[in-house]
Amino acid sequence: MARVLIKNLVKRFGKIIAVNNLNLEVKDGEFLVILGPSGCGKTTTLRCIAGLETPDEGEIWIGETLVNDLPPKDRDIAMVFQTYALYPHMTVYDNLAFPLKMRKIPKQEIDVKVKKVAQMLGIRELLDRKPMQLSGGQQQRVALGSAIVREPKLFLMDEPLSNIDAKLRVYMRAEIKKLQKDLGVTTIYVTHDQIEAMAIADRIAVMNKGSLQQVSSPDELYDNPATSFVAGFIGSPPMNLIDCSLIEKDGKLFLDAGEFTINISDLRDILETTRMGSEIVLGIRPEDIIILQRGFKGKEDFNANIYTIEPLGLETIVTVKKGNKLLRIRAPRDFRANINEEVGVLLNKQKIYLFDAKTGKRLYI
Amino acid sequence: MKKLVLSQMIVRNLLDRIAHIMQRILLHVFLMAFGFVMLMPFLWMVTTSLKPRELVRSAPHLIPTHFHWQNYVIALNAAPFGKYYLNTIIVVLGIVISQLLLSSLAGYAFARLRFPGKNIIFLILLSTMMMPYYITLIPSYLIIRTLGLVNTHLGLILPFLVSAFGIFLFRQYYIGFPKDLEDKALIDGCSRLQIWLYIYLPLSKPCLAALGTFAFLFAWNSFLWPLVITTDPDMWTIQLGLAMFSGKYGTEWTYLMAGTTISVIPAIALFMIFQKYYIKHLALSARLR
Amino acid sequence: MNDETKAAVVCIAPSAIIIGIFTIFPIFCSFYLSLTDWDGLSPTINFVGFSNYSELINSEAFWNSIKVTLCYAMGVSIISVILGLILASLINRTTGPLASLYRVIYFIPVVTSFVAAAVVWRSLFSPAGFLSDSFRSIGFSPPNWLADPIWALPALILVGVWNRLGFNTVISLAALQSIPRAYYERAKIDGAGPLSRFFFVTVPLMKPIILLLFVMSIVDAFLIFDLAYVMTGGGPLGATNVVGLLLYKSAFRYYKMGFASAIGVMVFAILLLLTLLQMRLFKFGKEV
Repeated sequence: MARVLIKNLVKRFGKIIAVNNLNLEVKDGEFLVILGPSGCGKTTTLRCIAGLETPDEGEIWIGETLVNDLPPKDRDIAMVFQTYALYPHMTVYDNLAFPLKMRKIPKQEIDVKVKKVAQMLGIRELLDRKPMQLSGGQQQRVALGSAIVREPKLFLMDEPLSNIDAKLRVYMRAEIKKLQKDLGVTTIYVTHDQIEAMAIADRIAVMNKGSLQQVSSPDELYDNPATSFVAGFIGSPPMNLIDCSLIEKDGKLFLDAGEFTINISDLRDILETTRMGSEIVLGIRPEDIIILQRGFKGKEDFNANIYTIEPLGLETIVTVKKGNKLLRIRAPRDFRANINEEVGVLLNKQKIYLFDAKTGKRLYI
Repeated sequence: MKKLVLSQMIVRNLLDRIAHIMQRILLHVFLMAFGFVMLMPFLWMVTTSLKPRELVRSAPHLIPTHFHWQNYVIALNAAPFGKYYLNTIIVVLGIVISQLLLSSLAGYAFARLRFPGKNIIFLILLSTMMMPYYITLIPSYLIIRTLGLVNTHLGLILPFLVSAFGIFLFRQYYIGFPKDLEDKALIDGCSRLQIWLYIYLPLSKPCLAALGTFAFLFAWNSFLWPLVITTDPDMWTIQLGLAMFSGKYGTEWTYLMAGTTISVIPAIALFMIFQKYYIKHLALSARLR
Repeated sequence: MNDETKAAVVCIAPSAIIIGIFTIFPIFCSFYLSLTDWDGLSPTINFVGFSNYSELINSEAFWNSIKVTLCYAMGVSIISVILGLILASLINRTTGPLASLYRVIYFIPVVTSFVAAAVVWRSLFSPAGFLSDSFRSIGFSPPNWLADPIWALPALILVGVWNRLGFNTVISLAALQSIPRAYYERAKIDGAGPLSRFFFVTVPLMKPIILLLFVMSIVDAFLIFDLAYVMTGGGPLGATNVVGLLLYKSAFRYYKMGFASAIGVMVFAILLLLTLLQMRLFKFGKEV
């Protein structure tokens, strides 16, 4: 059990800066997910923590130890890979026993530990098989077992569920979350799947292009994104992000999106320090927009035409088009309309997010 | 009208099919016959070795009436084939084991480790593959002579302890291994060399079979180097022994063929056992050139 | 030095040392020796400059052996490459497990040592041998193959082809099998018969492999030694005195190490030239 501290981590590959001055603290016993699109630096960060890559600058602390100069095997960590990385020529038993064998642990003790972990993961009957004979889910369990059996201070997981089919994935991620809670080991988990991250994490660290965007609990990230990137990345379907400029008309504040304007006089406080004409990104979640049909004149923020309707059973996702801008809206399951029908669009002003278009940073009071 | 056309079509179809089958049969007949021609020297060799002396030139040339095993006994007594075999086996074992070990080790390093000068060293290595004996024979002989290893097993083995081709083969083989495996092994507590020993080597069986066969055949069929290095008949290897035997018993075909058969069987047997791996790797390495 | 470099040293050093001693060092050693008149035994080595080379250039025996070796190499290469391609095409047209069988059958002569091959074929070629007897049985009177200066080299070439054919066939077969069927199907639809398909689809696509096989066969054939030593010893009248034999005799029978080294260097240079020449043709072929 240990906390992890990353200080000013920089990692370059040639001219590309993969990780750009990262500062992150992982609490003892926490399940932290590093989330981001491919190329954002999350895997590189994980590999630096593991010791599989050498940082160009910065410090990595595991517990009270500065591990920069320690090889992976001396860092008391275990890692689970996307491809499981099971030794194909060894049986499941030997795969689980291998890390213990390398540490010269006596055979008796190895046997006890391996059987215990196999029992915990429900793979006791598979101990004699070779990885080739196992299903994806079983292989992943063995990979997990091989990490658990080490009883390390820190678990590192690199997109372990990406190679598993969707149905099993949902099941496995619940298993992993429960396992982590039972074992109480600090875990750093990397993924590009935001739904997965939201489901299992205690906190999520969102990265983009090598930089840390925000570190918060899933709820916090959803309700209080710190940047437009986080806002657009978290949530499915994603938040609508519209480029606007700030204008004043008749003493009222408007966001001009070109095809339409939105009265945001209520948000005057947030925009106190903002100049007129500034580029602002307006963010609004699909569930915070209402579609007005039949006789709605006056109440709407602007008109638009129905572009697509996607009935998903539980709800309906409607996309409306105004000019060349598309907006996604969550509508009730019994929503009916014709394509191209003109409807009114009303935004919940309480749920509007404003971001600086240049920096992506959220504008707060 | 339509019925006529239909029956015409059926007949034509049938004729096509027959032509097709005939073509197939002809093909196989030809290939079989050609195969027979290719193996004919071996057939002649074995059958002659089993004929009594007088019948050697009789027709039909290829089929003996009964097996005259005495030829083999006489051949084995006329020349110490047993000793030749022993010498060759020692040399072959030394060369094969050493080449497998060193090629696998070096191939792993070139495939997986990062170190300065890696590409240059590999290029130099590759270029040595193409050095013919014309330029290496005399100096190698002089070195062995200086080391006092003339007429020794070690002298026969030493220059061939490693094979650049083998290193190339293993490198290509190992490059295809998933990188995750090493990362996992590093975290599990392996040093780089332990990764080679516990993970790469056990997974190398096809490549070991291919290179092992290649090295065995090279060592077993080797003639020039043993000729140069050994002057003591006790140290002769099988090919050398056979050549000398044929020099002495040139016209005693029955015994000569018995000796030749003895010399040739291990190579062919080994090839037959491992031919699957050997041929596959051969094709691959030629493509990569 | 970090961990990886340390491990690399352990892995590569043994191989590097052996190769350095027995392949790289000899290159320089041969060059050096070729400039001396050393006999391999005396304690002093005399530097004689390029006189070995001028002796070689003026030596009829040397150029004869080069000619012989070149003839042998060309003969074996051309025949075995073309024949190999044809055989591979035929095998490729068969379906089923027999293809593997043919591969193995044709390959067995390849794994036979040249010494054994020479012993067997020498008996076959002898005046009282199978070949001569067969000729007589159909009414021709055969020459004494290996004692006839005209027939000795062709006899060697025959054995060389016999030994090489399987190898070229296997490689050609592998290359043929990697040609996508789509090309042939398209040609069939366009109306091409089997021979047309061979010349307009197979041959152009196989050009690089054919050239490669040719280069490999020539270089390999140039190294001939065992076959000539055991089958003819270099005779009759130098008709099969390949340059390998010349080098061996000079060094180990006549004790002219310096001179022999010069032979080695000259042949090495000729081989290099041959290879480069063919690579030029290769590139030329590729553009075409």
